[in-house]
Amino acid sequence: MKISRKDFLKGAAGATGLLLMQPAASAMAKDSQTSEGMAMLIDVTKCVSCWWCYAACKDYNNLPETGKPSLTEPPELAPSVWTTLHPVLNENVWTSRKKACNHCTDAACVEVCPTGALSYNDMGFVQYDKDKCSGCGYCAEFCPFGVPQMDTNKITGVAIMNKCTFCHDRVTSGEQPACAAACTTGAITYGNRADLVAEAKARVAELGQNGVQATTYGINELDGLHVMYVLNDSPEVYGLPAAPETPPTGIVRNVLSWLGGGLAILAVAGFGLNYLAARFRMRGGEKE
Amino acid sequence: MTEARVVERFRKRTVWFHWIHTAAFLVLLVTGAILFLPGLGGPAAGGITRSIHRIAVLFFVGVPIVYFIINPRMSLQFIKETLTWGKDDFIWLTKAPDYYFGGDESKMPPQGHVNTGQKMWEFIVLATGVLFVISGIFMWFLKDTLAPAVFQWFVIVHDVAFVVAFLMLLVHIYTGSLHPRMTESLRSMWDGKISEKYARDHYAKWFEETSGHKD
Repeated sequence: MKISRKDFLKGAAGATGLLLMQPAASAMAKDSQTSEGMAMLIDVTKCVSCWWCYAACKDYNNLPETGKPSLTEPPELAPSVWTTLHPVLNENVWTSRKKACNHCTDAACVEVCPTGALSYNDMGFVQYDKDKCSGCGYCAEFCPFGVPQMDTNKITGVAIMNKCTFCHDRVTSGEQPACAAACTTGAITYGNRADLVAEAKARVAELGQNGVQATTYGINELDGLHVMYVLNDSPEVYGLPAAPETPPTGIVRNVLSWLGGGLAILAVAGFGLNYLAARFRMRGGEKE
Repeated sequence: MTEARVVERFRKRTVWFHWIHTAAFLVLLVTGAILFLPGLGGPAAGGITRSIHRIAVLFFVGVPIVYFIINPRMSLQFIKETLTWGKDDFIWLTKAPDYYFGGDESKMPPQGHVNTGQKMWEFIVLATGVLFVISGIFMWFLKDTLAPAVFQWFVIVHDVAFVVAFLMLLVHIYTGSLHPRMTESLRSMWDGKISEKYARDHYAKWFEETSGHKD
């Protein structure tokens, strides 16, 4: 069996071309990120740990129900738990932070998602298209809050990501997210992010006048979260990193991928030049 | 000597091994590249390519193991050949640029069964193979045992191995099959044979040691 060098050359060139020449444009197409738009403000000082947000989330998003959650053993985020509470016991009083996706303006998950399944919505939240999810799990591993949850088959590797959708269908048709609608105490407020930033600052000042040391969280973190908090203790106590950042490893990956693709194109171009130069000199040698 | 006489360079089983391993690697390369190189992610949607990646890796790892079991001596010889460097290898490196740009062939130091460039490629295959497999095992089975920050670095090890192996594979394809000087290299990986003249010009030491004295 023989294949000619010419055939092989054609095939190899075609395959390389296919691999390299695909437009890189889709990687750039995810930039509708904004620190404006809509947001939620979670005020832990108003939360009474009633779990209505948890139940409303499960109900609206058709997630399988579980038994009554407990504050001593709160459910972890999971493929079927998109929001939960991070309860803190302080002098026999429970205070809880509602925990879910924080919808970052600078979202590591969107940056590392290879298929564009995760993207920024114009309204400011981080949306995802399950049909595009490849199940690679990079979002879960690179999220500084550990939010995305993978439903993974260990052997086949088939997986799909789940997380809070910001109740995409509801908010895009003018309603508020299910958790905010269910909250009975005003601990979850939905509204314009700019308004909520002002509200958060006013609330911290108000609490301060009443002798409660409070801080905001999420106004500037990761260029602005679309879920912000009023906390009466340090972020770490409520399970939030004090200085969250998109992992530097994400940037390393980006650099490597562009470097790899770029060098490959340069290499192929270099081979072409080398081929011509070598042929030219070798022919010259034959004539002498 | 009117008909060009040929010498056996690779055994049939080695040729088979080479191409099965190549096929497995190309499948891994493509299904991996779409999750890595910028803007190629579309076909990965739905995750079928990630399953294909896992099937291909069974061949990528399994075929060398089978080959090693069948040919332990040749396999060890291959590794030894890759790691054994002499003076001629360093001379080869200094002369290679001119040679590959069509310079005088007679200036090249005599080479053994493989030349220095091929040794470097073999080393890259072995080294990136180990990096791919170790980081891949963690990415597949042992994700839960790692802190996210550590896992991220395993992904980056996989990425680095990809970049190195991908670029060097391009070099291997070019120098092994397309370069105007390597007229019989691809053929040798197809039917296992090269002409005596090609053997003398390219692998003088090996030719002297094996086929040369059979005349």
